[in-house]
Amino acid sequence: MEQAMTAGALAFPIWGLLLPFKSSGPMRWSAEAMRSDFPALVAWVLFGVAFGTLLQALTDLAEPILGPEYSGAAIAEGVRKRIVILGGGFAGMKTAERLEKLAVGRHSASVTLVSNTNSLLFTPMLAEVAGSSLEPSHISAPLRSSLAHTECIRGRVTGVDLEQRTVSLDNMNGDAQLHLEYDYLVLALGGVANFLGNKDVERLAFSFKSLFDAIRIRNHVIEMFERADREPDSTIRRRHLTFVIAGGGFAGVELAGALNDFARGILLDYRSVQRSEVEVILVHSRERILPELTESLAMYALKCLEERGVSFRLNARVKGATPGAIDVSDGIINSDTLIWTAGTAPNPLLNSMTLEKDKRGAAIVDRTLTLQNRPGVWALGDCAAVTDAITGQPCPPTAQFAIREAEAVAENILAVLRDKPQKAFHFKSLGSLCVIGHQTACAELAIPFTTSGLLQFSGLSAWLLWRAIYLSKLPGLERKIRVLMNWTLEMFFPRDIVQMIDLE
Amino acid sequence: MQTDLGTNMRNSIRLSMHGQLMNTLIGLSVGLAGGLARGVILQRPILTSAIYGAVFGLLFGLLVARRASSAGTGLIWGLGSAFTIWLLLSSRVMPVFSAMAHSSSMLYDVRSRFPDLVADLLCLGTPVGLAVGTFGIRQTSLDRPRFSLGRAVVAGGLAGIFAGLIFGYWMLVGGFFPLLAGLTQPSGRFAATAAQFVVALILGAAFGVLFQRDVHSYGSCMGWGMGFGIFWWFLGPLTLFPWISRLPVDWSAQNANNLYGAFIGHILYGLILGVSYATFDRVWLRLFFQSDPLNRKPEGPGLHLLRSLQWGAAAGLAGGLISSPVMIATGVLPRVAGTDTPLTSVGGLLTHLVISTLIGMSFGLLFRDESPTLHIGVLWGCLFGMIWWYAGPVTLLPLLLTSEIDWRAGTISSLLPALIGHLLYGGSTALFFMLLEHRYIRRIRLNSRSANLDSLPQRPLGNPAPALWMFAIGLGMLLPILLG
Repeated sequence: MEQAMTAGALAFPIWGLLLPFKSSGPMRWSAEAMRSDFPALVAWVLFGVAFGTLLQALTDLAEPILGPEYSGAAIAEGVRKRIVILGGGFAGMKTAERLEKLAVGRHSASVTLVSNTNSLLFTPMLAEVAGSSLEPSHISAPLRSSLAHTECIRGRVTGVDLEQRTVSLDNMNGDAQLHLEYDYLVLALGGVANFLGNKDVERLAFSFKSLFDAIRIRNHVIEMFERADREPDSTIRRRHLTFVIAGGGFAGVELAGALNDFARGILLDYRSVQRSEVEVILVHSRERILPELTESLAMYALKCLEERGVSFRLNARVKGATPGAIDVSDGIINSDTLIWTAGTAPNPLLNSMTLEKDKRGAAIVDRTLTLQNRPGVWALGDCAAVTDAITGQPCPPTAQFAIREAEAVAENILAVLRDKPQKAFHFKSLGSLCVIGHQTACAELAIPFTTSGLLQFSGLSAWLLWRAIYLSKLPGLERKIRVLMNWTLEMFFPRDIVQMIDLE
Repeated sequence: MQTDLGTNMRNSIRLSMHGQLMNTLIGLSVGLAGGLARGVILQRPILTSAIYGAVFGLLFGLLVARRASSAGTGLIWGLGSAFTIWLLLSSRVMPVFSAMAHSSSMLYDVRSRFPDLVADLLCLGTPVGLAVGTFGIRQTSLDRPRFSLGRAVVAGGLAGIFAGLIFGYWMLVGGFFPLLAGLTQPSGRFAATAAQFVVALILGAAFGVLFQRDVHSYGSCMGWGMGFGIFWWFLGPLTLFPWISRLPVDWSAQNANNLYGAFIGHILYGLILGVSYATFDRVWLRLFFQSDPLNRKPEGPGLHLLRSLQWGAAAGLAGGLISSPVMIATGVLPRVAGTDTPLTSVGGLLTHLVISTLIGMSFGLLFRDESPTLHIGVLWGCLFGMIWWYAGPVTLLPLLLTSEIDWRAGTISSLLPALIGHLLYGGSTALFFMLLEHRYIRRIRLNSRSANLDSLPQRPLGNPAPALWMFAIGLGMLLPILLG
């Protein structure tokens, strides 16, 4: 009956369409033509019903002999090329995302991503988590949800055999070794905090690279206020309430601004703590903070932060640290809190691999981001020493560049799959944005055809620009909505001081 | 439709011997009673009419009943079957194959047998379908979605009130067709309004109860709404309203011609009801079903929406290009969207393509996941094209240009050539949309991990969509020809 009715229904539009082709005269799509050709309509419907019935009957008869009808799209049993990506940061995740669009299915390639976390951390908003402005999970996108067609493996890479083309990993506990074979490998391992060999600092300082670090810093700040609130000794109280940040780059400045807002904002809940007792100090080894921005913007940021209560120790270095005291080159700071943002180094796993590296330890890649003398292996992001193919300048290890490098690597893998030449990497920075406190930011955008090539913003407009751009870049609609709601709530309610699970 | 779902599924809708026997008996007895009523109403020989009804019921019980797993499913199968049989038998098919076939005599013959159509639909198709379908609720072995009475009544009732509110007011102002509340001569305005809303509520709730398990997307809801509207035109203005008003029930083609405006009104009412029901039903599902972590879909609403819009735009553009020659040839759209730009000019063609793209996007939103195979996709597309013909050239365009609507059969008859262009546009848009949708699904299914995330769209077993297409597309196209 289904086939009969379906074919009968199809007869109506078919009859209408074929109407003018039945005669050699002029086109006859008119009501009169339809009425005069009415018997043909009935004939078409009859033909359709009979055809459908016959088709159904023949299908029923044929099935016992020929077997069931084709059930639809077949799933490829074997996949020809295995692409393995090591690292789930911006570089790794974006490479996988781009490959899903370009290669999965179309070229029968499988993509496997190995990461020691199961989510992508949106680092531009990390300072807001430390400052209790955003919920931690809201700035992390689950890799499995974002990469529907990629096999995501949470594990720690323990070794890469570039000769045998295998990757070894464990399940983060040092057991359950797993070996992955690959045809193409992408190294997007990222970086780690570089404490410049100072073991005391490494032992006592908080690093500021991961979500765990941000949660720990937030918890620690709240803990310091709890202790200060019940501490009668003013010296110890001041020590608890002094927060030192080493490094005046983007990460350090944004963290200083966020922590300063957080620390001074929660004073209402700690009635015995005086505003004057709270101190946020930023230690920076150069003359001015924010070397990534022009001097005028850096000075603006410095002035704004100072007005909001942040102190600066410029041309100073953290030389060492003991519990309760931080040894800075221009004097000791009594503090229980040191947060390290002063340097990063490529992932130490690279040391175990036979690669050409630069003095930082980053893997040297050619113009196509392929490892030197290692075809089929690409490196990008913080773990690679990437040079712009046109300008010859080294590319900075920022998220902006990592994303573009990821796109280039994915397209080059596709080119290899298609036996086509790879493209050289070139990208001109779009600009920089830095939040320095409540509704205040600095922005420097690359604008073509202007005298300096740069357009500078500061204050509220830059802050709005920062929020708009990073909100749009945050992966996932759901995350965007959650962050937007957090930002809106923050306008009306004070920041949360509930301590989370102590991850230490 | 079920043949697209494979042999195993076909086997699964076979009934037990007892169930088959009961269905046949119910079909036979209700058909016999309907045939008797048909003979009495049409003043035909009672015995012949009773035999005709009994044969209809018997065939329905034997061939269709196993698919009629609910009253709504049975109703649509019954209407589709009754219409098909009426068209093929009452138009005296045999002359079609002979050289004696004469167009005007056949058209006249079919027109004169219009009362038979109404009688077949209301005395045979409706009662037999409803009876067999109601019995089929307990008998069928189909693995169908669970029925929720609360959801059906609430979503349907709200949709009915909403559709009644906006459409009833419009119709009353325009005086296009009598509404039930206007027939009872209530004591005051409040009573009239209350009666109107009660009727709207009942109609909407009935829609939900009858078709909850059959409808799928917004598009199919509109299709069912259109079918429901056409059915209510036969039942309401042609039958119940004069009967309530103690006037003679007149099923002649002449009276149908007089009530042709109400036919279009009922189609548009059905479309509004369908799309409103889909909206309320989706909200209900979102709140009480899809919010359950066990029922989450792998693809978020944002991605789903964007893909539908993207494919719909591409398919609409292709459909616009394909249908342009027919639109120009029919000469019904000499001006694009009522503007001064001729369709044959570059600007006019571009405007036409932009409009086609936008309408294609609406197709993407309405009809996603509805097309497992080519012919099913094309038929939904044709229905979409027909909906746009009734909504566009027949209603909105004259309303925008002249602030008046002329729904007389003669006027609509002059717009018939545009229907062909709309059917071609809808069909080709659906075809391209289906190709894009299937291409995407096939591509991601190559990856074994993705294979269980997205599958080709399917409709539940025994779904009466083919009968709906036959009924809605057939009558939507036939009545303007027949009554104009």
